[in-house]
Amino acid sequence: MRECLSIHIGQAGIQIGDACWELYCLEHGIQPNSVVLDRQQDQLENAKMEHTNASFDTFFCETRAGKHVPRALFVDLEPTVIDGIRTGQHRSLFHPEQLLSGKEDAANNYARGRYSVGSEVIDLVLERTRKLAEQCGGLQGFLIFRSFGGGTGSGFTSLLMERLTGEYSRKTKLEFSVYPAPRISTAVVEPYNSVLTTHSTTEHTDCTFMVDNEAVYDICHRKLGVECPSHASINRLVVQVVSSITASLRFEGPLNVDLIEFQTNLVPYPRIHFPMTAFAPIVSADKAYHEQFSVSDITTACFESSNQLVKCNPRLGKYMACCLLYRGDVVPKEVNAAIAATKSRHSVQFVDWCPTGFKVGINNWPPMVMPGGDLAKVHRSICMLSNTTAIVEAWARLDHKFDLMYAKRAFLHWYLREGMEEAEFLEAREDLAALERDYEEVGQSF
Amino acid sequence: MSDTLTADVIGRRVEVNGEHATVRFAGVVPPVAGPWLGVEWDNPERGKHDGSHEGTVYFKCRHPTGGSFIRPNKVNFGTDFLTAIKNRYVLEDGPEEDRKEQIVTIGNKPVETIGFDSIMKQQSQLSKLQEVSLRNCAVSCAGEKGGVAEACPNIRKVDLSKNLLSSWDEVIHIADQLRHLEVLNVSENKLKFPSGSVLTGTLSALKVLVLNQTGITWAEAHAQCGGSRHGLDMQKDASKFVDLCVLQKCSTSNCIISAKDHTSMWMNVAKVLRCAAGCPGLEELYLESNNIFISERPTDVLQTVKLLDLSSNQLIDENQLYLIAHLPRLEQLILSDTGISSLHFPDAGIGCKTSMFPSLKYLVVNDNQISQWSFFNELEKLPSLQALSCLRNPLTKEDKEAETARLLIIASIGQLKTLNKCEILPEERRRAELDYRKAFGNEWKQAGGHKDPEKNRLSEEFLTAHPRYQFLCLKYGAPEDWELKTQQPLMLKNQLLTLKIKYPHQLDQKVLEKQLPGSMTIQKVKGLLSRLLKVPVSDLLLSYESPKKPGREIELENDLKSLQFYSVENGDCLLVRW
Repeated sequence: MRECLSIHIGQAGIQIGDACWELYCLEHGIQPNSVVLDRQQDQLENAKMEHTNASFDTFFCETRAGKHVPRALFVDLEPTVIDGIRTGQHRSLFHPEQLLSGKEDAANNYARGRYSVGSEVIDLVLERTRKLAEQCGGLQGFLIFRSFGGGTGSGFTSLLMERLTGEYSRKTKLEFSVYPAPRISTAVVEPYNSVLTTHSTTEHTDCTFMVDNEAVYDICHRKLGVECPSHASINRLVVQVVSSITASLRFEGPLNVDLIEFQTNLVPYPRIHFPMTAFAPIVSADKAYHEQFSVSDITTACFESSNQLVKCNPRLGKYMACCLLYRGDVVPKEVNAAIAATKSRHSVQFVDWCPTGFKVGINNWPPMVMPGGDLAKVHRSICMLSNTTAIVEAWARLDHKFDLMYAKRAFLHWYLREGMEEAEFLEAREDLAALERDYEEVGQSF
Repeated sequence: MSDTLTADVIGRRVEVNGEHATVRFAGVVPPVAGPWLGVEWDNPERGKHDGSHEGTVYFKCRHPTGGSFIRPNKVNFGTDFLTAIKNRYVLEDGPEEDRKEQIVTIGNKPVETIGFDSIMKQQSQLSKLQEVSLRNCAVSCAGEKGGVAEACPNIRKVDLSKNLLSSWDEVIHIADQLRHLEVLNVSENKLKFPSGSVLTGTLSALKVLVLNQTGITWAEAHAQCGGSRHGLDMQKDASKFVDLCVLQKCSTSNCIISAKDHTSMWMNVAKVLRCAAGCPGLEELYLESNNIFISERPTDVLQTVKLLDLSSNQLIDENQLYLIAHLPRLEQLILSDTGISSLHFPDAGIGCKTSMFPSLKYLVVNDNQISQWSFFNELEKLPSLQALSCLRNPLTKEDKEAETARLLIIASIGQLKTLNKCEILPEERRRAELDYRKAFGNEWKQAGGHKDPEKNRLSEEFLTAHPRYQFLCLKYGAPEDWELKTQQPLMLKNQLLTLKIKYPHQLDQKVLEKQLPGSMTIQKVKGLLSRLLKVPVSDLLLSYESPKKPGREIELENDLKSLQFYSVENGDCLLVRW
């Protein structure tokens, strides 16, 4: 019951997915050949064992042979990245039908991903989704992983989301989206793709967790000692955050146990569904055990801008909702003390109309890291999800870049050639302007 | 907690208002009545004196303000392990505090804790606890025998850092009872290692041992253990698992030691190592910030260690590393912030692999004093090295040099796959190696390099400085001459032609030398000359001759063409007639 289906779209989505399932397998003790590690089922009397079994179910499907297959779908319009999974370490984890690739890619073009090339693949994708959904006793909803800037990630996702709403109208859909950053981008038209996809997807998503590549790049560079962070390093960090966010879905936990709880806890209005994520502690593997991070240390840290995954300044905005999820060796006494002691909490401002404040939960399952990665293993970690009006900064930046190019109609012909019209651009831009205004409005006092 | 001031209180670790100290004296301090404890604080500035009062020396401290006298009842001697666990993890049954919930607010809104009750219930089941952290919980002893084993036998990881454990024995008493213990962290405890006793159990499941900042120094070890007799035994038991860590003993190798009395020391070191049954499965050992000085080669201990962290130990130098160079399984060595500036593997010649550090895959040398490129040439000799982190060294510090530094490091170490946590892609390696080959091409030629292998005779000096150069030549071909031509910077003065000006008909005129740009037109040259010679332009006839082709004179008849057009070169001679 309560299964979650993950759909990974485009290069970003797939690479994050690869890292993600690797981490999940590590956490649940599943070997690359889908079999559970014996060590987890040893002589230790541990009531948590029952919980472990139950949690497999949400994300993994147990076959008759005793293998645990991820409930996931990997979709791309060109084969290179998916071939990496087909021939990679985890190839035996997935069923071949879960890895879908087309022949011609979207070339960083929303129009191709959505209209021309995407429309050829969509039916197959929906069919596979149906198959996976049938294996579920009570499907909760979908987790979509994609980037804003790519062609498949933007265009194909919009198409897919529309169709998913049509077929599974009652199911929750959460997104993990990679917000474009100039330092790691290869495409100039990312602002176009981002604006277009946000416009068409907003009404179909219930909650979107944005990850700004720029912020993560800085974290990798400064805190983890990575000289030139590549996608691999960035993804490993992103995946730690994803794991924290989905921890309660996979292990018995108190907070955000259902996909729908994310909505009820974090989203006050349907359009205002972009929470900001912060994560602590982030320690380089070379400095393991050099410093100890207590509960109060990590609580203070997650209010710092250097631990945020989206570049914005929450002090300039107001909070509408916030969840703090502790993970690992954390004791309730210490949490209370830590929160009471956090000086940063005085700079937190809530909107007037919101009665509830922070929600705090603890999940005792320890955070794990991938061996050979950049992060050190820590005893405890914290993930803060906050819906703050300050995130409108990210939209403002994107809209500005969009305007600069659109004013000159630069690169527009690539989209028009695939059958799009300028009107769609204008509509999308209008929508985002309205989103910015919405954020402003909710932040205002009575 | 102890009100009986018996002699065994000396050496105990205590805590007073958050500050940790070691008891050095117990007794009476006249003229004030009553019992006193003399303590030496961890923080050298916390105290009031150095152990002496009104002339009498009661105990010794390292610092003049390191000691204080305190009443015993003000001092916390700590608690036992089991009590500490219960304090932290067990739901208090007492009615007073937990029912009265203090509402904490953030941003004027209440903080709602969800599910804490069930968490507390879960954690209260001590027997199910696997990962336990008792940092800064004033743990000073194991408690009653077998208590720990009965209450929480399934603990796999325990963090006992910054507690009041005063001796290694106590640590063993705790750890011994935990059959499944895999990770033990006793950092930031000032541990004392008693002499004599044989330990009762081995920590057979222990994989990771963390002893950062246990701060044992040479002098302290000396003093605490009452002189040279047992100076080393402090490690005797620790050495079961740790060995190398805090030994700053003399050794038979060529280290420089500032030891006071090392003759008796080294006998004990040998004993120590022999006694060390070793933790059979120890894989990771962390010894950061201990002022460690490696003094002896581990022969049958540490043989399974995969990771060794020696960061922030300023006394380490490269000579000591030879002593750990033969650990068979050592894959990761962390030497950040140790002041290392060079490494040498004398057993391997140029282009050969050393027998030292046979399994070393990942080396971390951040924050050191590396300033010579030869460092990387030595690293090339390591047989298994795959990854290197070398940030914040004098050689790689400046930003603009960082990119060049990266390419040079990649080219110097052929098998390196990851540098500074960034994977080296094949294209990057190719670019780096080609750059290297070109950059040192001129040097190579000057040192006797030649395309033709027969004629290739490189100097020893060059081979030492660039051991991979030959290999690069084989891989990409010897550098061609045209590749090596250094580009003259495009400054004007490099484009001027130095020309002599002769006047064949006027023999008494001196030969002038002028610098003219090659792009100057003949007309302009004539103009210049006419102003010089006071001869009208129309009367001048120009030609030039080149020392390369003597006797041949070339006429410069087209006024609109430039000197370059006529291929006038540096050193040629202009002939002017009128």
